[in-house]
Amino acid sequence: MTVSTDYTAQEIIVVAGAKVLEDNKIVFVGTGLPMVASLLASRTHAPGLIPVFEAGAVGPPLKHGLPVSVGDSRTFTGASYVKGLNGAFELTQRGFADFGFIGGAEVDMYGNLNSTMMGDFPAGYQKPKVRLPGSGGASDMAASCERTILIVPHDKKKFNEKLSYVTSPGHLDGSPNARYNAGMQGKGPYRLITTKGIFDFEEKTKRMRLIQMFPGETVESIQAATGFELLIADNVTEFPAPTVEEVRLIREEIDPNGVFVKRAAK
Amino acid sequence: MENSAKMFWTGLSPDEAREALVNKDKSMKDKRMTLKEAVSRFVKNGDNVGIGGFVNVRQPVAICHEMIRQGFKDLTLSFQSAGMAPELLAGAMIANPDKFSIKRVELAYWGHEAFGLSPAWRYLAERGLIEFEDWSNYNMSARFKAGAMGLPFIPTRGPLGGDIKNTSRTKIMDCPFTGRPIALLPASNPNVALIHVQAADMYGNCIIRGTDATCAEIAMASAHTIVTCEQLVSHDLLTSNPKDIMIPFPAVDAVIQVPYGAYPGACRRHYWFNGDHVRQLLGCIAPMCKGGAPDALKAYYDENIYGVESFEDYIAKIGVKQLLADKAAEAVHCERLV
Repeated sequence: MTVSTDYTAQEIIVVAGAKVLEDNKIVFVGTGLPMVASLLASRTHAPGLIPVFEAGAVGPPLKHGLPVSVGDSRTFTGASYVKGLNGAFELTQRGFADFGFIGGAEVDMYGNLNSTMMGDFPAGYQKPKVRLPGSGGASDMAASCERTILIVPHDKKKFNEKLSYVTSPGHLDGSPNARYNAGMQGKGPYRLITTKGIFDFEEKTKRMRLIQMFPGETVESIQAATGFELLIADNVTEFPAPTVEEVRLIREEIDPNGVFVKRAAK
Repeated sequence: MENSAKMFWTGLSPDEAREALVNKDKSMKDKRMTLKEAVSRFVKNGDNVGIGGFVNVRQPVAICHEMIRQGFKDLTLSFQSAGMAPELLAGAMIANPDKFSIKRVELAYWGHEAFGLSPAWRYLAERGLIEFEDWSNYNMSARFKAGAMGLPFIPTRGPLGGDIKNTSRTKIMDCPFTGRPIALLPASNPNVALIHVQAADMYGNCIIRGTDATCAEIAMASAHTIVTCEQLVSHDLLTSNPKDIMIPFPAVDAVIQVPYGAYPGACRRHYWFNGDHVRQLLGCIAPMCKGGAPDALKAYYDENIYGVESFEDYIAKIGVKQLLADKAAEAVHCERLV
């Protein structure tokens, strides 16, 4: 397999996200890069992957291409089952979703995500420094999918010890059985994919742990871009650069209009 | 029980919601009227307004245009994920706060997915000009469902663990059966629901294609419902498969045929998104977040809303060529012989 020499940061995220997904599983797909990654997985190693979209569609073949909204017509055509939002989230709460695939603007070491606001909390909640769109379905996926995959671009300002707001609960404070004790279901954050590498959450402490680095990164460069101390797995390996074929699939077949995967400036 | 916030009802309390239906004329009568009449009869200052659709799919855009033309004060907007409907209403408030105002928003997400963030949401929230209550998509959908079920609350897992439970009226209790914590969400019973559907009959029976979103729950929970539809068809045709009916006539107060009523959002079987037009509105508001002047925004409203008599006149400005292209872009998703 020829290795791509001009892949972008978003493209390697998509390839890594796709590879984390397992064939024949149900994945509850959030809007944006998770959609692209799920489509890439189903076009490569996971043809039996079953996407669920929060507006209600279960298992559409997506033969008309990438949805621009998780509620659009492309998610509906050929789907096996479509209701509305209550229908989709009830399936998830019941345990039908093996994976939830979500993004956020800010993440902490336990995989809690923020997509609500930046600024003082709780004092500044009603007048935030930066107001973000809000949870959408992310907090529901975080609370009820069996395992969640998170995507956050790697940036010291986004990897913080304390979040402005916990929109989508991960391993909470990392204490034993924290999620169960809070009343939630599911095992919580399983993988985090950033622009620098892939992380899991160490079993005992539930803390973010580097397991694979993207080409060009070192443990030091990744730690330097992180606002808290990372755990480092014993055998950190390099995640292989995307292949020419993977990049071609993203650019020409999956997101040819650059709806979610921005084109590199020429 | 953990009390996160003081309890209060926005819109109708469960008892008031019950009373509203008891007193309502539920007969199977002709509910066709103009959009102007529907909005002036069923929307009032201070109302809690339930917004149907999902992000920019089947948003009640035509109804919002008419509300802006008529002008309303101190509205509460309730929705799960929405794009153009709150953007247009909030843009009207930003452009001309004396004529249109939103007091409060109860929501899960306000943005435009692939078309961008919402500058109106940022403008109003970051300046402290509206109050808001964050929920998730399931939380809002379940709250409408509780309202539609005639229940005061509904248990969900959704807000457990994070901060949503701390900034909303969620209450956490130990489940009386399992002993584990469970979240209780207050029902939402809006004063009026704004819903756009593919097809309706003159009595208000509605058929929805594509995602159901949370439209049926919002309509059933609300005291009144205004329905716009792409296609107004005979009762016989609409009921040829009664299980297709998503919203039953007694829940509906006004039916108006408004082709392209969710435009520039999408409506399955009819038209795909006009992303450029969505971005045009966002582009008028975005510079104002950084202190820019409201000139472009005011011009947008003068051109597209205040300067026209009806939604049809706005659609005429879009032009046939563009409308045909948006129709063709959707047609490939649901190819069929006519």
